[in-house]
Amino acid sequence: MKLPLLAPAEANAPLFLHRGATITRAQFAQAALELAARLPDAPAALNLCEDRYCFALAFAALALRGQPALLPPSGHASALAAVRADHPGAYAIGDHPTCAVELVLPRTAAPRDPAPRVELPALAADLCVAIVYTSGSTGAPQPIRKPWHALSHAGQELARRLLDGHGRCHIVATVPPQHMYGLEASVLLALAGGHGVHRGRPVFPPDVRTALDELPAPRILVTTPVHIRALLASGTKLPELAGVISATAPLPCELAERAEAQFSAPVHEIYGCSEAGSLATRRTLAGEPWQPLPGVTIEYQAGGCSARGVHLPQPVPLQDVLEACDGGFRLLGRAADMLKVAGKRASLADLTQKLLSIPGVIDGIVFQPEAGAAQDVLSRPAALVVAPRLSEREIRAALARLIDPVFLPRPLRKVERLPRNDVGKLARAALRELL
Amino acid sequence: MKDNERELAALLITALNLEDKRVDDVDPAAPLFGEPGQGWGLDSIDALEIALAVQQKYGVELRAEDEATRRAFASLAALADYIAHQRAVQAV
Repeated sequence: MKLPLLAPAEANAPLFLHRGATITRAQFAQAALELAARLPDAPAALNLCEDRYCFALAFAALALRGQPALLPPSGHASALAAVRADHPGAYAIGDHPTCAVELVLPRTAAPRDPAPRVELPALAADLCVAIVYTSGSTGAPQPIRKPWHALSHAGQELARRLLDGHGRCHIVATVPPQHMYGLEASVLLALAGGHGVHRGRPVFPPDVRTALDELPAPRILVTTPVHIRALLASGTKLPELAGVISATAPLPCELAERAEAQFSAPVHEIYGCSEAGSLATRRTLAGEPWQPLPGVTIEYQAGGCSARGVHLPQPVPLQDVLEACDGGFRLLGRAADMLKVAGKRASLADLTQKLLSIPGVIDGIVFQPEAGAAQDVLSRPAALVVAPRLSEREIRAALARLIDPVFLPRPLRKVERLPRNDVGKLARAALRELL
Repeated sequence: MKDNERELAALLITALNLEDKRVDDVDPAAPLFGEPGQGWGLDSIDALEIALAVQQKYGVELRAEDEATRRAFASLAALADYIAHQRAVQAV
């Protein structure tokens, strides 16, 4: 079976937008064909482009050549070296003259006028077009191969679920395209969903405002809880939005309420993981249940939940504990969070919440230093706490009043800050190092 | 270290809760971001916090998409210079 690389649309539909300039569907198709023709022969290539048009161009050209795009978990030299070591013979494509890559796509290159009726050939549905990496919050980063049908399915279903009824939307995303969420909720909403996407990756509040100002309505902001918090704290006035989409970490209801009030737009969350991509969505307000995307079913088992999908070759075990409810499911916590000490059960998420409720504690986490520790062994959790005004003894004493003593973290260490990565997640390895 | 660099170092230490860092020990030329263990070792979430703190204290908006801001984030000294320049421009 073959699937189109670009969703059907009129040739002059804007696919990528930036500072008043647009790249149409036909211009994109023409540029992708030209780039594909001049790519070197290789088994795979790192796609390090930051500009979303350059990224999508490299992505499409690589797919046309049957070369998987390697999407490293971060831009750090060590992460790039690890991916290169796993893929001998791979080259890298970037869009910044200073980056150490074999092929640079100039961001300023104006696409040529397309040939009449230029079309991209369809791709084999099971062609591996990308290799992404797990974020590492549950262990070392693992590579995951993505066939085109899985990514195409995600782009189409997210568009149907979150953008239907608005016509062609224009999207600004604050997350990198190399991240699974950023890939599906920006680049694939353009390629497979038929919507227009801003080329930039604004992060600071004034940049987000400028990027949104450059786009015609209806505007969609694809972002994370960290960026939503910063936008609200800065008091930045955004143009009229049709919707806000958040993922990577649970969005507190209180933050979602303030965001809906400030931006006068509904706030939706996407639930997913690198292994399975986007699985479900919900409107965050009032703790509405998560609704699986079409083609996704959740299996609820005592030993752990898993996701089945028409886009998945086999069920994907989930790191979270889910509970079926009317109209969908609820998220109870991370499965790696479930702790059993001396026959008592607790969730690490719960213990972390208790820790954070202590006056003077600014940030903190209760976690299990050993991945996959045997469930029935008496294994205490550890804790890292950011609390400049409290001593470790005072924190322990306060926590002892809130939780069962068997769950008291040991060791409990004060740190200046938690090692959050680019999208605000905490890697277990980095946490262990701080102990 | 210049006065405006000391003031900015104190702001960063407070805003980012860098409790083991002392203003007197700061090297104004050290890189703010990058691989852990080099310079300040800050990350993109810290950049967001710095932008908020600088906006609230000095009324200067930092823009990551702007080449001048990218250069300003190279070091404490560069950031202090950039803020002083922006405030001078705004005061005109």
